[in-house]
Amino acid sequence: MSAKLHDIEVLQAPEPHMHFERPGKTGLVDWLTTVDHKKIGVLYWLAGTFFLLCGGLEALLFRIQLAVPDNDFMGGETFNGMVTMHATTMVFLAIMPMTAGFANFLVPLVIGARDVAFPRLNAWSYWTFLAGALVINASFVFGGAPAAGWTGYAPLTGAQYGGSGIDFWWAGLALLSASSMAASVNFIVTILNMRAPGMTLLRVPVIGWMMLVIQFLLALSFPPVTVGLILLGFDRMFGSNFYNVSMGGDPHLWQHLFWLFGHPEVYVLILPAMGIVSEILPVFSRRPLFGQTAVIFSGIFIGFVGFGVWAHHMFTTGMGPVADAAFAATTAIIAIPTGVKIFNWLGTLWGGKLTFPTPMLFAVAFIPIFTMGGLSGLMHAAAPLDLQQHDSYFVVAHFHYVLVGGALMGLFAGSYFYFPKVTGRMMNDTLGKLHFWLFVAGMNITFFPQHILGNQGMPRRIYTYPADAQWDFYNMLGTVGVVVMTIATLIYVYNVIVSYKKGEIAGRDPWDAATLEWLTDSPPKMQNFDFTPIVLSERPVWDHKYTEGMEIIAPEKAEAFHMPSYSWKPMISSCFVTLLVVGLLLNTFNPGNWLWAISAVAAVGVVGSVYAWVSEPV
Amino acid sequence: MFRNFTNKLSGWLKTAASPRNLALLAPMALALLLSACGGDGHPRDTLNPAGDGAEVSAWFYWLYLILDSVIFAIVVSALVVAIVKFSKKDGDDTLPPQSHGNMKLEVIWTVIPTIIVVILGVITIGGVFKLSEKPAEEQKVIEIDVTGKQWWWEFDYRNEKISTANEMHVEEGTQVALHLTSADVIHAFWVPRISGKRDATPGRSYPLYFKATQAGEFIGQCAELCGASHARMGIKMMVHPVKGPDSYDNWVKSQKTVAAAPQTALQKAGKKVFETKGCASCHTIRGVKELTQRSRTTGPDLTHVGSRTTIAALALTNNVENLAKWVKNPQAVKEAALMTNLNLSDADSKAVAEYLFSLK
Ligand code: HEC
Ligand SMILES: [Cu+2]
Ligand SMILES: [Cu+2]
Repeated sequence: MSAKLHDIEVLQAPEPHMHFERPGKTGLVDWLTTVDHKKIGVLYWLAGTFFLLCGGLEALLFRIQLAVPDNDFMGGETFNGMVTMHATTMVFLAIMPMTAGFANFLVPLVIGARDVAFPRLNAWSYWTFLAGALVINASFVFGGAPAAGWTGYAPLTGAQYGGSGIDFWWAGLALLSASSMAASVNFIVTILNMRAPGMTLLRVPVIGWMMLVIQFLLALSFPPVTVGLILLGFDRMFGSNFYNVSMGGDPHLWQHLFWLFGHPEVYVLILPAMGIVSEILPVFSRRPLFGQTAVIFSGIFIGFVGFGVWAHHMFTTGMGPVADAAFAATTAIIAIPTGVKIFNWLGTLWGGKLTFPTPMLFAVAFIPIFTMGGLSGLMHAAAPLDLQQHDSYFVVAHFHYVLVGGALMGLFAGSYFYFPKVTGRMMNDTLGKLHFWLFVAGMNITFFPQHILGNQGMPRRIYTYPADAQWDFYNMLGTVGVVVMTIATLIYVYNVIVSYKKGEIAGRDPWDAATLEWLTDSPPKMQNFDFTPIVLSERPVWDHKYTEGMEIIAPEKAEAFHMPSYSWKPMISSCFVTLLVVGLLLNTFNPGNWLWAISAVAAVGVVGSVYAWVSEPV
Repeated sequence: MFRNFTNKLSGWLKTAASPRNLALLAPMALALLLSACGGDGHPRDTLNPAGDGAEVSAWFYWLYLILDSVIFAIVVSALVVAIVKFSKKDGDDTLPPQSHGNMKLEVIWTVIPTIIVVILGVITIGGVFKLSEKPAEEQKVIEIDVTGKQWWWEFDYRNEKISTANEMHVEEGTQVALHLTSADVIHAFWVPRISGKRDATPGRSYPLYFKATQAGEFIGQCAELCGASHARMGIKMMVHPVKGPDSYDNWVKSQKTVAAAPQTALQKAGKKVFETKGCASCHTIRGVKELTQRSRTTGPDLTHVGSRTTIAALALTNNVENLAKWVKNPQAVKEAALMTNLNLSDADSKAVAEYLFSLK
């Protein structure tokens, strides 16, 4: 059964009739007013990649400071700002938007839909995200970066201790959280309601499932941290005392609100990468994903339990043995579904016919590197051991294995894999492999020795260390590794640019893949599919090609469909939301100057633009 | 030129650096990695415990390291075998069997980890309760109130009524109970060879119990980001033997006395500087001037500052030059330090340093 029965390239559709084309604009205006999920996906991905470079630059700078003991390349406050911005940028402005890029581009395609449920809300999410990103980074220009760590522990963020950077930080994060919550509702509705006929929930590809799980995580975990951020804003702007100890406030309140978000957030970052890997491994093993249902259910299970483990970040606060024991136990449970995923990936490779183009290299390397991060995470679950590892370089090593070796490498894999679908051209495989080997080497050179540094008692977030601490060798290695990773990433960016211009033409289905996105053109046309495919299995495109009687059949008569038209309203509305926040910031810096009036005007603008939005014909 | 390079590179990547060839190197790399994770007699080695808390943590580390290594070895070997065995051969265009999974395997790799996790959970919970045990009432306990301050540590001995900074003195084998709090933001007390860390949180007091099992000096530092000079908030733990001239009891005796009177003219001048230039508004020297109230910016008790080996939370070794350097311009030594720069003249700083160093 090796020969293809049918070729995707020749699947002919009847000439569609009665369809309303989305009247598009061109050029820049097109990008500003688009409500097309594919274009919004590309915007997210580009912004994410841009901020990935920013976060990398920040890391490079503070790694220079740490390369040798007693260095004076930068001072403590600057260093703290760099560390805080590096983490905030990588988590919220690089990995999450790149993930959102994949979610936007792929979700409607893999479920056989023409767009997301609320296309204009989708655009609003993007513009609000971008505004939040700009507000956070504006701190560099106006009075210095936030320097309380990305975890922003109270009371270091309070008006008494934290500079103006904190204002930009909380306000920007509040915007990002509004963006994420809007997006999550959008995608939950899309995935649950807009699947093609025959696509039962268990036929939704793993990537679609993981995106669904993380939308629930976002929808449920962003509210607590948003409350936390707003309380912080009240403390800083109006002198309230939510976290002010001397007035009876409670700094641990912040930690609970933050980690109630922060831990599920870890899965928001890693589950999409797991979804991508679960798509890539079967394609280059030329067989179905082993235990697809088990992989999906373990993802759901991780999402659930992920809400019950947050206080494992707080073992050193002195919660008492009962809470410590409970959170240690729930955390260890997460190892089980994670293990199930890893073994199923191995099961997929086992007995396949493996080939190793760049996306497969990243996906395969993801397995051991992520496993490493998972296993050190299991160590942290043991509270008595975590008392040593918490806030040490061991933890730094752990979460970089998970987030760089895991999340980011998963996203790299996805970029190589889906690039042909997005642009219609292949990425250069040689450059891709060079990127891969350099990146894997660099990441291990940097982060593996950090386990040892942690065992040797090096705390995280210290801007310098004395020579007699004997941490210099591994720190120097760490800096060298970051240089290697930087070179690798620049090669990747170069590869994206040249491949976009000159890459080999891809065709619809360059990898001989299995899921619906490969059914349509590369890049897909505005309405995604000429006709809504009827789905008979969890591998509709594979079965179309290889299984007798399972072909996707074009209907004789074309169907009518309707695509929403472009709109300025989402962008205008998110501009007003941003202005509202900026007014509050200005007022904080120049109190008593009526600057809050800007916010008042902006609030009216928000209401007005939403009204205009609602009454706009689509 | 470039084309040439990429061609060569892609050839090399296909053969020498193919996943298949590299996969064979994995076991070697694995052994190397694991051996690097062990203890190595480093000054702050968490795996070379000198306290009962650190012992418990280290025991858990070895337990988990062994377990993790076994699991990692299984995953990597399966991966290596899969890559070597199942890479597609050139010219082989047949499809592999299209199986969708195997229920038996799913059950196995769910149940076995579950059993492991349950066992680990029971052991871990045991460890948690062991570490939080309160010391028995009747035994001798050294009780110390620890206050984290930006960016130094204040140690108030509850029963002995002495106060020191950054250098904590305890007795080998004797139970210690720290009561941690903070005067400003959250800090964390961490001396890796003695015990795991515990936060010092403003407005709260949390205990940390430990016994040092070995005499000697142990270095640590604040482990929770607390502002600009978080990196310069060191801790030195001096563990005294029970007997001998260097005993803990002797140390307590010497610290209980009021400050020594100045002897030389320079020292006398230094005392004058201390009394007149505003130092006394932030520092206590028992026998000279005692503060009745403490605030966020109050500095260390200097009654026996000359007996310390370091000053400013391990930022400098303690000697006359460094003391003078510090009092002349604290911020030049430690970024944003909360001690006011009083613009002392060189002569004044020299004199006050001479005086302070005489306060053994
Ligand atoms: C505003 C309060 C303030 C004033 C005034 C002040 N100090 Fe300090 N001093 C501090 C603080 C706070 C520290 C701890 C700084 C640190 O380590 O970060 C300190 C530390 C020191 C230390 C180091 C002690 C140790 O054990 O590490 C010495 C010595 C010292 N001060 C001497 C002086 C002298 C002499 C003067 C007067 C010329 C003076 N201080 C004035 C607040 C003050
Ligand atoms: Cu967590
Ligand atoms: Cu600190």
